[in-house]
Amino acid sequence: MPRPRYVFGEAWSIARTSPRQTAAAITLIALALYVPGLLALVSHNLSRLAVEETDPASVVLTLDPQTDPRAIAARLQADTRIRLVRIVSSDAALARFRRAYPDLGAALSDLKEAPFPPSIEVVLKPGAARTASREIAAAARVWPGIESAESEEEFSRRFRDAIHLVRDAGLFLGAVLTLAAVLSVASAVRLALDLHREEVGIMRLMGATESAIRAPFWLYATSEGLVGGGLALGLLYATYRFAANWLSRDPHPVLAVLWVGFLALPTQLLLPAAGAAAGLLGSLLSLGRRQTRRATRLA
Amino acid sequence: MIQLFGVSKRYGTFRDALADISFRVEPGEFVFLTGPSGAGKSTLLRLIFMEETPTAGQIIVNGRNIGVLPQGQIPYLRRTMGVVFQDFKLIARKTIFENIAFVQNVLGLPRVEQKRRAYQVLKRVGLHHLMNAFPDELSGGEQQRVAIARAIVNEPTLLLADEPTGNLDPVLAEEIMRLFVEINIRGTTVVVATHDLEMIRRTGKRTLILERGRLHDPDRLRESAPIVREAPFLPLH
Repeated sequence: MPRPRYVFGEAWSIARTSPRQTAAAITLIALALYVPGLLALVSHNLSRLAVEETDPASVVLTLDPQTDPRAIAARLQADTRIRLVRIVSSDAALARFRRAYPDLGAALSDLKEAPFPPSIEVVLKPGAARTASREIAAAARVWPGIESAESEEEFSRRFRDAIHLVRDAGLFLGAVLTLAAVLSVASAVRLALDLHREEVGIMRLMGATESAIRAPFWLYATSEGLVGGGLALGLLYATYRFAANWLSRDPHPVLAVLWVGFLALPTQLLLPAAGAAAGLLGSLLSLGRRQTRRATRLA
Repeated sequence: MIQLFGVSKRYGTFRDALADISFRVEPGEFVFLTGPSGAGKSTLLRLIFMEETPTAGQIIVNGRNIGVLPQGQIPYLRRTMGVVFQDFKLIARKTIFENIAFVQNVLGLPRVEQKRRAYQVLKRVGLHHLMNAFPDELSGGEQQRVAIARAIVNEPTLLLADEPTGNLDPVLAEEIMRLFVEINIRGTTVVVATHDLEMIRRTGKRTLILERGRLHDPDRLRESAPIVREAPFLPLH
């Protein structure tokens, strides 16, 4: 096995002799990981809204602020399919939001009035028919003082579907862009190999083993990926900080939800790790035994 | 040291670079390999240092049949050989010391030991003051001496040289040939491919003649051998 000092020295030397290719490969890896990272960040923040509750509401009625919620609640309680009717005032909704998004507390405290309208949450009995929530919502929509009535089951499903869509789009885009990054690294390594064609041939004649010849290229490509992944993480954090700062100055009820918190540490570490894996895969693709021997044969 | 039995090398379907070559080089021997351009000298050397594989026949180097040598063992066998080329083949981005200490570096030999060995061999070729220079800063003769130093730094039992004086003027060529003779006197088997017949005549060593991929009539070689027995070169100190 070649010694680490030799491998690191040679890998650094390869990077120095082809700085443009190295920079291009790093940039492409960074972009390839930034896009899915961004979608992961958005879906991470959206997922908070989909946290399971102990008594999930089946129907949510949004009320006109002038309406007496108790009258509406009494009317609902007459329905035998309903187990529980929960009145959520504007302040209670705000408090709940603060619990879900503690990171936004400072921004919300600046608001002069509560941004959430009062609502009523309806919990159905366990044996209620599947269509019950939709029927109750449809009936309530025509009542006076009701701004909107949504079957929460349907909303929850749509919401979760939306989160899954964002995640899947992230995974798909990530896979496509990572493949592009892998191929880019493979080209960069092949180019570096071509630039070092003669000296690799000389090394071989001097008795260098195949692992001694390839290890610096492996390390070079893996490092490219690692740096690219790190750069993607840095860009992502910069984007997050920028968005969070901007939204703290000019709060937006929907956009703010997307930029509440940054990715968890394991997900953060996934970016450089994915970059390194892409780099290694790219180098393995371009450094097959036959390819190196053909590419470096001396005249 | 080297034995070839009926070795042939064919490129494509029709072109025989070498055909039915058999000879033997004893340990400690100095042998010239000569012939016109395209006779197969370089191909023969490439077969010996395993850059190419023969189409037919067997080659034994240092007692090992290289035809059946596993791929992974080739680097280790190569470390018992030194190779010198006409165009020196030094790595331009490395210093003279780094060029010479490359294999030791790969093997993880302490830097002090690498320097000691590099200094010793560079002193033998008279270039110990240029350890930190780059190949581009050296003349052709100096570069070839560095290439020789690199070839002998592992104390090889066999030294192969492919037209080592082809790019040098006669004075430098003679200087390089002296180095080979001196290395041979110290016990290393030396095989030099050259088409410089004058050099061969003056050196007075055994000569193998290749013509169109075939070894010349061995009887003619034996006849010519006494003529070139004298060795006018004095080894360097």
